[in-house]
Amino acid sequence: MHGLDRALRFVLPLGILALLATVLLVGWFVQPDRYAQGRSVPQPIPYSHALHAGTLKIPCLHCHSGATRSRMAGVPAVSVCMSCHQVTRTERPAIQLLAELQRTGKVLAWNRVHSLPDHVYFDHRPHAGAGIACQTCHGEIQTLSVVSLRMSMRMGNCLGCHRDPRTALPKESPIRRGPEHCNACHR
Amino acid sequence: MDPNPIDPTPRPWRSLEERAGLPGEPEEFPAGASEAPAGLGRRRFLQLLGASAALAATVACDRKGVPLVPYTRRPTEGVPGVTNFYASAFPEAGKAHPVLVRTREGRPVHVSGHDLGGKAPLRATADLLGLYDPDRLRGPLADGKPISWDQALERLARGFSNGRPVLLVTGASASPTRECLLRDLGEAVPGLEWLSCEGLPGAPVDLRGWKPRLEPVKVLLSLGSDFLAGDDPSLVEAYARRREPGEGMLRLWAAEGSMSLTGANADHRILLKPSQVAAFASALAQALKAGQGVHPAPSDLESGVWGALVEDLRSAGPRALVLCGPALPEAAHRAVHALNRQMGSLGLAFEPEGVASGLRASQVLPRLESGHYGAVLFWGCNPLYTSPEAGRWRSALARVPFRCWMGLQQDETSTACSLLLPEHHWLEAWGDHALSGGRLALQQPVVGALHDSRQGEDVLLALLRTRGKSACSGYFDYLKERWRREVQPPGSAVPFERYFASALHEGLVKARVLIPPIPAAVRESTPVPEYGADAFELLLAPDRRIFDGRYGNNGWLQELPEPVSKTAWGNPLMISPADAHRLSLADGDMVRLDAGPEHLELPVCIQPGQAPGVLSLTLGYGRSHGRVAKGVGVNAFPLLDPAGSGLRTGVALRRLGARMELPRTQGHHRMEGRDILRIQEGGHAHSSHAPHELPSLYPPQVFGEQRWGMVVDLNRCVGCSTCVLACQSENNIPVVGPEQVARGREMHWLRIDRYYEGDPANPRAAHQPMMCQHCDHAPCENVCPVNATNHSPDGLNQMVYNRCVGTRYCANNCPYKVRRFNFLEYNYARKEPELLAHNPEVTVRPRGVMEKCTFCIQRIQDARVRAKLEKRPLKDGDITPACVAACPAGAIVFGDLKDPHSRVVHLAEDPRGYKVLEELGVRPAITYLAALRNPLRGGKS
Repeated sequence: MHGLDRALRFVLPLGILALLATVLLVGWFVQPDRYAQGRSVPQPIPYSHALHAGTLKIPCLHCHSGATRSRMAGVPAVSVCMSCHQVTRTERPAIQLLAELQRTGKVLAWNRVHSLPDHVYFDHRPHAGAGIACQTCHGEIQTLSVVSLRMSMRMGNCLGCHRDPRTALPKESPIRRGPEHCNACHR
Repeated sequence: MDPNPIDPTPRPWRSLEERAGLPGEPEEFPAGASEAPAGLGRRRFLQLLGASAALAATVACDRKGVPLVPYTRRPTEGVPGVTNFYASAFPEAGKAHPVLVRTREGRPVHVSGHDLGGKAPLRATADLLGLYDPDRLRGPLADGKPISWDQALERLARGFSNGRPVLLVTGASASPTRECLLRDLGEAVPGLEWLSCEGLPGAPVDLRGWKPRLEPVKVLLSLGSDFLAGDDPSLVEAYARRREPGEGMLRLWAAEGSMSLTGANADHRILLKPSQVAAFASALAQALKAGQGVHPAPSDLESGVWGALVEDLRSAGPRALVLCGPALPEAAHRAVHALNRQMGSLGLAFEPEGVASGLRASQVLPRLESGHYGAVLFWGCNPLYTSPEAGRWRSALARVPFRCWMGLQQDETSTACSLLLPEHHWLEAWGDHALSGGRLALQQPVVGALHDSRQGEDVLLALLRTRGKSACSGYFDYLKERWRREVQPPGSAVPFERYFASALHEGLVKARVLIPPIPAAVRESTPVPEYGADAFELLLAPDRRIFDGRYGNNGWLQELPEPVSKTAWGNPLMISPADAHRLSLADGDMVRLDAGPEHLELPVCIQPGQAPGVLSLTLGYGRSHGRVAKGVGVNAFPLLDPAGSGLRTGVALRRLGARMELPRTQGHHRMEGRDILRIQEGGHAHSSHAPHELPSLYPPQVFGEQRWGMVVDLNRCVGCSTCVLACQSENNIPVVGPEQVARGREMHWLRIDRYYEGDPANPRAAHQPMMCQHCDHAPCENVCPVNATNHSPDGLNQMVYNRCVGTRYCANNCPYKVRRFNFLEYNYARKEPELLAHNPEVTVRPRGVMEKCTFCIQRIQDARVRAKLEKRPLKDGDITPACVAACPAGAIVFGDLKDPHSRVVHLAEDPRGYKVLEELGVRPAITYLAALRNPLRGGKS
């Protein structure tokens, strides 16, 4: 009797607590990086969006030209960087690395900041085509010298905007809602 | 005997067990359907477990993400993530087909047909896998050791100049430029002899090079010719057009020994032994000559059927056509040719096509044995496998001092050679090919070489260069030079570069190809050999999936069920139900087949409609090379008659007592005898049912702008299964292997059900493509505990893989049995280059997930986004799912059911239209149009 009483009073609540803690802890540690708002990763080239997009006011589409034509906005080819840096700031070591890659044809592997799972097929085209600014999802990128994740890549964030896109869209846009059925993004 | 007796209760059946009402193996879920593979050792099980755990972890976590690697130098064409299309041509055994290749990020991911060149054949779509085959030779080898190309070419040049004659053995090709190159080579290398080696039975040489033209034909009699099998999709296209319901609907007769796809589609089918074809054709000619009145039927044929056939052919006059199966003996070809000439159909119904050129020299073997040659080069052929005299080839080759082999992957012939040169796949190579109707197709590479291989022609050009006979740096220059010289019409105002660029864009040109005249002075008859009536006769023909074995390593093709017998992974011996009963054989019983000195041990498959006394077997199996091909089926090439006919008489059969389970899909997903397939008599459509809306307890579906639907015209569908393969390529459907197929775990989203009707001795057959019906009140949706399958506003039954937990309730509740479950991690065994064949727009499903037809949602979404960007509504025809794009018969039509002007709405209103299992009230989005069969003229219905 005494044993059962102790079990009900202490062991059971403790067990439940331990289970909950385990679930939360494991969940916290294995959650994907794409949920981590504010996360940034070191890159092989210390590229600054604040300089290029902010100070120099180069349009986003100059480098990420896929955003209106392809599902992926794309990372510019080394040759795109070199179209300016052939003559600009050639004394910097990072630019010299680019020139070296251009010459040898070796590849430059950037570290991913924004990632989506394999079963999600986000398409930049309709979003850019509807007039949604890049900053809506990617944050005030023209102020960031190191890119960090401004929006957690959760389905809730996608759906939130799809249900009420007014703040993201230009004022004159006729669009009232985005699609919410599964096949819109999953296939 | 009436060839098609009408069963008093015409209930279609799919297997003999089902017809006899036996429980048999084909239960809805075969025994053990959900168990782990038998013989799965502990180690293998742990491997699978480990692999799936690792994969599950990667799916769930994906913590760091893969690095982002942009181009270093941006290519001039193409944006990453956007598909590019290139016109090219698929060469195969002296024929070629124009194709359209879809590429992503510079790699081909899908092969289909295009508007100008027609649909792509089954094997063109499937051979995408051949490009990424991990078994391909990756670099030149000399005596098993890797060497550089410079060394290899130097060895080749030395081997070719030892002063003795050189033998070049190539596969057949219809390329004029290649022929030109071989002529140049013949001049540069004295004593070069060229053998064009295709091991398959075919028509006599003087009767080749002609392709039937079906447009003017009213009555078609196929004597063992399987022209509907889809080897040439343009024939299926033409046939389907001629089968439009109405007065002029083509009447198709078939007289054959084995059940071919053509026979399965025929209005009337007569059982005829292959040895009797020549006599049958001569009797027909006699009867047609005799005019009205008596014309005695061949002994075992009912006079009513014979009279109707003769009457049909006579009334069509020159618009009647008789086709002869390529595997039949020479006498049959000559008799059929004479018959066509007599009917006057030769000029009307045939058009010239590219002729496979090359010296045909059967004298080569004795010379080879006598040590005549100093060097031999095999290029794109495998005579040590495809020759009936492979043993002679092997021993004769030992007498040749220098043996070089050039090809895609090591095979039986390469084992007898010392210098092995890897060749480009056709998707990596240049070429041109003569097509029918005087057209010329241009083949262009759509991807850079994956391995350290070279184009075969480039190797020969290098030989020419070492002898100072050519200034061309590569085969592309050589080809362009010849096109500048000979192909572009003289005096054309268009600059050559523009002409060539437009040819590249279109994929084919109207060319000045010399059209061979209709052979006038061919020998029209050959004494018909006497055939004994006692023993079996055996008909050997190339397999319609793996052909002569060259695609044996292609899992897609190996797993595609044979359209009539529905067997996969192997070549069982087809035997008639009567013979099987006499010898007390059941499906899968092992037999010993004796043909002269050769014998084979193989399983039998009882084929309804097979003529008694006739056995049939396909070639191309029993390979000893290739990780997929090895050990599948038996090699029937040694049984082939070296003279070139596929018929072997005096064959004996003995039961061995052992059994083997045939990987066969015909009993899977059966329909429990419900009214699923509808066939109507007569060329005119009549309403097959009164459409009525059943009451439903569910609230009606609310649709958005579109509601997708499909119409499948069973009168056009011939069952060729090209759609099944296109679907597999488009949707990343895994290959599961023979053991899994035997358990009913094949993953094809789209299957073709084949039904028989009537007497098993000679049943009538019909085909029905079956895929997810996207029901409005889908029974799968309301049993899913996690809402992983639900309805989209555009009428699709959507499947969400990441929600699925694998309860399989949905599959159990699906009346159409179209849901497929990933019982194992089927993609786990795939090796590196093979993964590149995946379509990047479709998720690769892991173990434990249900999947099914999505109407190619990736294509729908892409078309929708494109329309949105162009600020226009979606048009009818913007979206073509892979099956629709692949179907050579145009039997499948896809579109918006809410658009009153769409083709699919128009077709769905056809009086032949019906919904499968309409009585269940699930409201499917697919309408089937009943098949039509012409009644027997002047006979019973």
